Amino acid sequence: MTRSVRGGLVTTLTWVLVLVFFFPVFWMIINGFKPEAIASSIHPKVFFSPVTTGYQLAMDRGMKGYLINSITASVTATIIAVVLAIPAAYALSIRRVKNVESALSFFISTRFMPMAAVVLPLYIILKNLGLLDNIYMLAVVYGAVNLPVTVWMMRSFFLEVPFEIVEAARVDGAGLYREIVRIVLPLVLPGVAAAALISFIFSWNEYFLATLLTSNAARTTPPFLGSFVDGRGQFLAVLSAAATIAALPVILAGWVAQKQLVRGLSMGAIK
Amino acid sequence: MSAATSAPPRPTDTKPKKSKGLNAGQGRLGLMLVAPTMLFLAVIIIYPLFKAIQLSFQKDAGLDPATGLFVEGGNAGISNYTHWLLQKCGEVDCPPGTLGAQFYDALWVTLFFTVVSVFIEVILGMWFAMIMNRDFKGRGLVRAAILVPWAIPTAVTAKLWLFIFAFDGIANRLLSTVGVNPQLWTSDPWAAKFAIIIADVWKTTPFMALLILAGLQLVPGDVYEAAQIDGATKWQTFTKITLPLVKVPLMVAVLFRTLDVLRIYDLPAILTNGGGGTTSLSMLVIKQIRSGFHSASALSTIVFLLIAFTAFLFIKFGGADVVQRPPKSKKKEPAAAPGNPVAANATTPGA
Repeated sequence: MTRSVRGGLVTTLTWVLVLVFFFPVFWMIINGFKPEAIASSIHPKVFFSPVTTGYQLAMDRGMKGYLINSITASVTATIIAVVLAIPAAYALSIRRVKNVESALSFFISTRFMPMAAVVLPLYIILKNLGLLDNIYMLAVVYGAVNLPVTVWMMRSFFLEVPFEIVEAARVDGAGLYREIVRIVLPLVLPGVAAAALISFIFSWNEYFLATLLTSNAARTTPPFLGSFVDGRGQFLAVLSAAATIAALPVILAGWVAQKQLVRGLSMGAIK
Repeated sequence: MSAATSAPPRPTDTKPKKSKGLNAGQGRLGLMLVAPTMLFLAVIIIYPLFKAIQLSFQKDAGLDPATGLFVEGGNAGISNYTHWLLQKCGEVDCPPGTLGAQFYDALWVTLFFTVVSVFIEVILGMWFAMIMNRDFKGRGLVRAAILVPWAIPTAVTAKLWLFIFAFDGIANRLLSTVGVNPQLWTSDPWAAKFAIIIADVWKTTPFMALLILAGLQLVPGDVYEAAQIDGATKWQTFTKITLPLVKVPLMVAVLFRTLDVLRIYDLPAILTNGGGGTTSLSMLVIKQIRSGFHSASALSTIVFLLIAFTAFLFIKFGGADVVQRPPKSKKKEPAAAPGNPVAANATTPGA
């Protein structure tokens, strides 16, 4: 076998693998555009005229409210995480605190924390404070959950800032604020964006805490999907449509920033 | 938590000397910058953790079986722990079917998910990474497409596979074409376990592959050329060159995946809802919350200790260098990492 034929075969194999992995998502998107009768049929049709009934039905079930909650929680959580993480990551990289490693271990250990271990007291505390089913409270909790990962990722980008640049700025008499905002941040902006994106994706996808800490007013999209009447039977098209809407923002985010995401995530934020 | 903090204490004896000369007062400023983050985490994550431990040593309020009076709880000693670990419901063994009796089933099935899923993900991920570690048409597209299963919400993943594993769904139809009887994917003991593993593998393998790929791309091409000239077989090249070079990023990825599967909740909760004995430890905690806070706290503390212990083992013995120190200077010159941030990152894997 010649080298090029072999190479062609491996490329084909790679593409087949990718298609196999991508197929379920593709199938979900297609199902969302099928009329219910065709989607639920035991004999699947390849050709059909696409309809948006599934999407309309999903919206009729109040999906808009869950989506707004999801956006509120994810955006607020991301802002909290980013605002707190920038100074922390700066201190842990460029301006080294004493015991960097113990500080880092502290962060990483909270990343390891099983949420099942903290959710119960959290539930009791929030219940006593009357903050259950509050979307901003959920966002604060998400902010804390995402903070270690955000600090972690940002730090790895901050570490790449050439120290001479920071030194030069200091020699020129730049204060701390100026040094961070004017000198360091512009250099690490892709990293900050990647960390923010990760925080957004994690918050958007979070199911466990949302199920327990919200019930009605603050319910987000994942628990809504999770409790969606069983997929078996006649709800395949509408559920597919709802799932497609829920997946769309993160698919787009992942698509746009895949390089940064992979780089940031290989620093230890696999989920 | 204790596991991770106790792991890298090595440099403490050398560091203070080093940082004193460089820039006096820097430590305090750094601390001030880290403090808000630490405080925030302490309030939202660490305090509830300690509260859970405290709750786990108390009794549920309720009727005292001896006196018939309502009691406010009080000290339970370790009875909430023996409830799970020794299967004691009060003085007697927990009757089968109760939540207490499900502890070991949940523990084993969680460990089973962890070992099988992570093993398959590493093998498949390695394989995917190797075939992607070369130039071919549409490589960028492949890398983006492969992120999709990882990025979508687990709730979506679970519902998606619920369709696929429905009795008249695609999975059974595919099986019937090769002459296998349809499976009850959400209730049969083996089929349900594998339904969850398949969904989990689908969700994370491509991602694992990208992480391993990031490690592979750090290996300089001339190393492989040299190996080829020296007449190394493919297997030798893989075990002697590729594997050692991607070991650190791989171990970190395996560590994080392992800890994630140990607390798995979303997939079994939505896909099987515990059918076919797929109730994971996290699911058991949530089920227990409804019938007693304090024993639920004990269980959640057990889960926490299990995960902390696993993390400790990985960091201590598995070479999962989570603190991103330069691999070479790790033992010989611990002061190098805090001293020079740029150099510390030069060898950081995963760029």
